[in-house]
Amino acid sequence: MPNPKKLLIEPLRKTNPVTVLVLGICSCLAVTAQLKPAVVMGLSVTVVTALSNFIISLLRKGIPQRIRIIVQLVVVATLVILIDQFLKAFAYDVSKQLSVYVGLIITNCIIMGRLEAFALSHGPWESFLDGLGNGLGYSLILVLVAFFRELLGSGTLLGYQVIPQSFYEAGYQNNGLMILPPMALIIVGVIIWIQRTRNPEMQENNPK
Amino acid sequence: MKKDINSNGYIFLYATILVVVVAVLLTAAAIWLKPFQDDNKKNEKRINILRAAGIAEVNADNASALFEEHCTDEFLLDENGRPDNNGTLPVFVIDRRISVIPMKGKGLWGPISGYLAIDVEGKIVGANFDHESETPGLGGEITTEKFQSQFRGKQIRDNGQMVPIEFDAITGATKTSNGVKEMIDKTLKSYSPYFERLSHAQP
Repeated sequence: MPNPKKLLIEPLRKTNPVTVLVLGICSCLAVTAQLKPAVVMGLSVTVVTALSNFIISLLRKGIPQRIRIIVQLVVVATLVILIDQFLKAFAYDVSKQLSVYVGLIITNCIIMGRLEAFALSHGPWESFLDGLGNGLGYSLILVLVAFFRELLGSGTLLGYQVIPQSFYEAGYQNNGLMILPPMALIIVGVIIWIQRTRNPEMQENNPK
Repeated sequence: MKKDINSNGYIFLYATILVVVVAVLLTAAAIWLKPFQDDNKKNEKRINILRAAGIAEVNADNASALFEEHCTDEFLLDENGRPDNNGTLPVFVIDRRISVIPMKGKGLWGPISGYLAIDVEGKIVGANFDHESETPGLGGEITTEKFQSQFRGKQIRDNGQMVPIEFDAITGATKTSNGVKEMIDKTLKSYSPYFERLSHAQP
C-alpha cells in the first residue's frame, strides 16, 4: 500500500491535478473571478472526488467492465446533486453563485480521471485519501488564481475592499482584463512556469 | 460460486439496482430539504423587494422582520388596475407610498427577473435585477449596483402619459440589455392603469 501521507500531500505539489496533469482547467476559468466561489468550488470538488473515489473503490470488484464509465457517472452525478440540494437549503447565497457551475463539477475531468486511474485499482481508504489530496491540490490552484484575479481585477478579497481608496484617487485602476476568463489561463500558466523552474526534474527533456 | 460480472444478465441486474438505489436516495433528499429551500426562496424575494424600495440594510437574517415592519399592504391587481383577489399582477406596498412590482423577462441564456419600486408620483425609487444564467462580467452585470442605480429618480409618467424608461445598456451584453428593456416596458404597460389611478388619487 502506498504511503498514506504521500497520497494526500503529493497531489498538492508534484502530481497536482491542475498544474501537472492539466485537468479541470474549464472550471478553473469559470469560478476564479472572485475568491469566494473559488473556495466553495474547491471544497465541493474535494468532497465529491473523495467520496466518489471511496464509493467506486468499494464497488470496484462488482462493477461490470462494460458499464463502468456509466456507473461512475451515476455515482458522481448523484453526489453532485445531493451537494447542490444541501447548498440550496443551507447556504443559499453560495448555491446561487455556483448554480451555473454545478454542472461543471459533474464533468470535472479530475473526478473521472481519479476514478479511472486510481479508485478502480486501489482500496477504499487509499482511494479516499487520493481523492482528498487531488481535490485539495485543485482547490489550492483555484484559490491562488482567484486571489490574484480578485485582487487585481476588483481590488477586493472575499468581497472586502483591500486596495485603499487613496490608491484610486492617485490614479490606480482595477485591471478589467483580470475579470475575463483568459486571464485565469495566463495565471495558471505562470504558476506552472514557476513550479517547473523550481523543480527542474519536472521538465521534460527536449529531444535533440 | 463466483459470478461472472461481465455477463449480460449481471449487467442488467447491476444497472437496475444502482438506478433504483440512486432514485430513492435523491427523492428522500429532495423531500427532506424542500422546506429549507422554500424558506430561502421566500427570504430572497423579500430581500429583493426591500432592496428595490431603498431599504439597503436588509440581509438574510433580518429580512422577514424588516418585511413585516415596512410592507404595509400586499395585493393582486386585475388587468384594469383594480385590487382583485383573482388578479394576476402582484403589488407590494412599502411604507404606504412605494409600490414594488415584480418583473419577468428573457435574457440571452435564460430567464431574468427583477423588481421596480415606484412611488405615488410615478418616480422610480429603485430597481433590482436578477438572472439565472447570464454571462458573469457581461449580462451578469445587471445585478450590480452600478447598473441598478441609474434607474433611480426616473419618471414613468409624463403629462399623464406613460413614457418608456431609458437607460444605459451594458457593453458586450446587447441581448441581455434588450431583455431588460423589454421586461420593463412590458411590465409597466400591464401596470399602467394602476399607476394612472394612483396619480389621480393624489391631491
